[in-house]
Amino acid sequence: MLENLRVASFLAFKQVQRGSKGTLILTIMIIALVFVNLVFLPSIISGVIETFNTQSINFNYGNLVIEPREGDQYISDADTLQKKVERIPGIVGTSPRISTGVTYFYKGRDARSTLYGINPQDERSVTTIHENMVRGEFLSAGDTDKIVMGATLAGTEGEAGGGLPTLQGVQVGDSVEVAFPNGERRTFQVKGIYETQSIGVDTSAFTTTGAVAQVLGLENQASEILVKTAVNGQEEMYRTRLLSYGIQQQVFTFRQKAAGFVDQAIQSFEIINAISTLVSLIIAVVVVFIVIFINTVNKRRQIGILKAIGIDKQIIINSYVLQVLFIATLGALVGIVLTSGVIYYLTINPLVFPGGPVFPVVEPATVARSIASLFAVSIVAGYIPAWKTAREDILDAIQR
Amino acid sequence: MIVAEEVTRVYRMGKVEVRALKGVSFTIADGEFVGITGASGSGKSTLLHILGLLDRPTSGRVLINGRNVQKLSDRQQTLFRLNRLGYVFQDYALIPELTAIENVIVTSLARGVSEKEYLKRGAEVLREVGLGDRINHRQSELSGGEQQRVAIARAIVNKPSILLADEPCANLDSETSKSILDLFKQLNEDLNQTIVMVSHEKWHERYFCRIIDLKDGLINSMRECDAGR
Repeated sequence: MLENLRVASFLAFKQVQRGSKGTLILTIMIIALVFVNLVFLPSIISGVIETFNTQSINFNYGNLVIEPREGDQYISDADTLQKKVERIPGIVGTSPRISTGVTYFYKGRDARSTLYGINPQDERSVTTIHENMVRGEFLSAGDTDKIVMGATLAGTEGEAGGGLPTLQGVQVGDSVEVAFPNGERRTFQVKGIYETQSIGVDTSAFTTTGAVAQVLGLENQASEILVKTAVNGQEEMYRTRLLSYGIQQQVFTFRQKAAGFVDQAIQSFEIINAISTLVSLIIAVVVVFIVIFINTVNKRRQIGILKAIGIDKQIIINSYVLQVLFIATLGALVGIVLTSGVIYYLTINPLVFPGGPVFPVVEPATVARSIASLFAVSIVAGYIPAWKTAREDILDAIQR
Repeated sequence: MIVAEEVTRVYRMGKVEVRALKGVSFTIADGEFVGITGASGSGKSTLLHILGLLDRPTSGRVLINGRNVQKLSDRQQTLFRLNRLGYVFQDYALIPELTAIENVIVTSLARGVSEKEYLKRGAEVLREVGLGDRINHRQSELSGGEQQRVAIARAIVNKPSILLADEPCANLDSETSKSILDLFKQLNEDLNQTIVMVSHEKWHERYFCRIIDLKDGLINSMRECDAGR
């Protein structure tokens, strides 16, 4: 067995060493590009998921969302619940919100969207909207007649929102009239404009809980309580913990809250990725097959000679498989270098998606899977032509 | 000892049947240097291919040291060629990507000989065939005579008990041919190797112990030569 491997390695090494360098480099480059393709798209998908998760946690939901019990519109005795949740280990922030659908009026234009009533201090402990102010300032406690508005909702003079609600040019200091569902109208002064690049958040506005509660006639009630956990990525564990502490309301993870839209997007991405992976692997199979097939056809006589002098057919096949492994190894290494270059470039110049900038995220499992699939298809594509040629009759091969 | 019993070989080319050997029987004793002669198409090379386990007879059998080699599997035949036979092809049949010494030692490598030993033996055998200064040259850098010497070195490097040579001097000038035949004779005498060589040159006969002359796939004559007396 070892002798066989020794001879196969010797023959493979000599063929690589003295064979066509151009063909070798071309094949390695094709394998490298296939590798890049295998890793690149999943890294973008991972980046999109990462961006989505970050945005969902930082701007939309925190890690967990507590909602009223089924059939209730609001969480009652929100203060008590908030305090109870904050005492649970691993919970680092909570923010009760009252949300309501409203119509905004500004200089004869109107837009329908959501208005959130928040306690600014609590909100700062959960979301990072306050860090994304592009103009003006975030809310402070007692700002009952102030509002902060998403950049899309505030809009730009003369630019329609393309289907999104926009007031086309609201500036800090302007007054905006808000019509509530109960018919009441209130005027708020715009204190700041934020931009998170999360569509749902940028088309909404925030004011203080007191202002909304007063209009809607609520007292110590909340539509939802956002919860920030100490560690991201363990939402299920924290959710179970909250329930085990006797929280009677409905508790959702941010993924559950945003499942529909993102799941569909991810599913679509994964279909594209599967097709792209399949095409890449087919290209790898075809290229390696053609290279080894041409190689073995051209070396048919040599293969016959080797068999004639007593070299076992399997050794000859193994020598071609070793060549393919060598090519696949170099291809994967060059691929890793190219991928690192592309990832580095996209980290400095991220792709901009509707949800925000997307940084590619290369997962070790994806790299390992890509290398494994590349090796698997290369071995199959190298083995078949070598096997076909090596089983040919010795005299037929030699006398060609 | 090589024994051929009623060996036939029929090739089918479409509907045409070519009977290359029509029932050939002979015995070659250990240490004999036998020449197989005959006109073109008489079946010389076909017979050598069968003796060299590169082809199987249509009927009949070949026994080498009492073993019916046709009954061996492909893999067993490969091992038999590796361990017991040396084969010199008419057109050298070297691997162009390998140097002279690499061509020579590839079978030693397959036999599990240590690197130190096969490199030493490879260089030694190339020196024996007069190519001591050409061991790192590739096929394209060697003359026809030199290539044939490399092929011979490859065939004898493992000191096989049987050496088969298919017109090894066909493409060589008479001086190179003579040196190669002298080398065969020396191997035959020094190592008691059985040598079976296909030839159509009359002057080669003085090297042979015995000549098996073929005609139309049958043995035309079998006679001892001067070297065998």
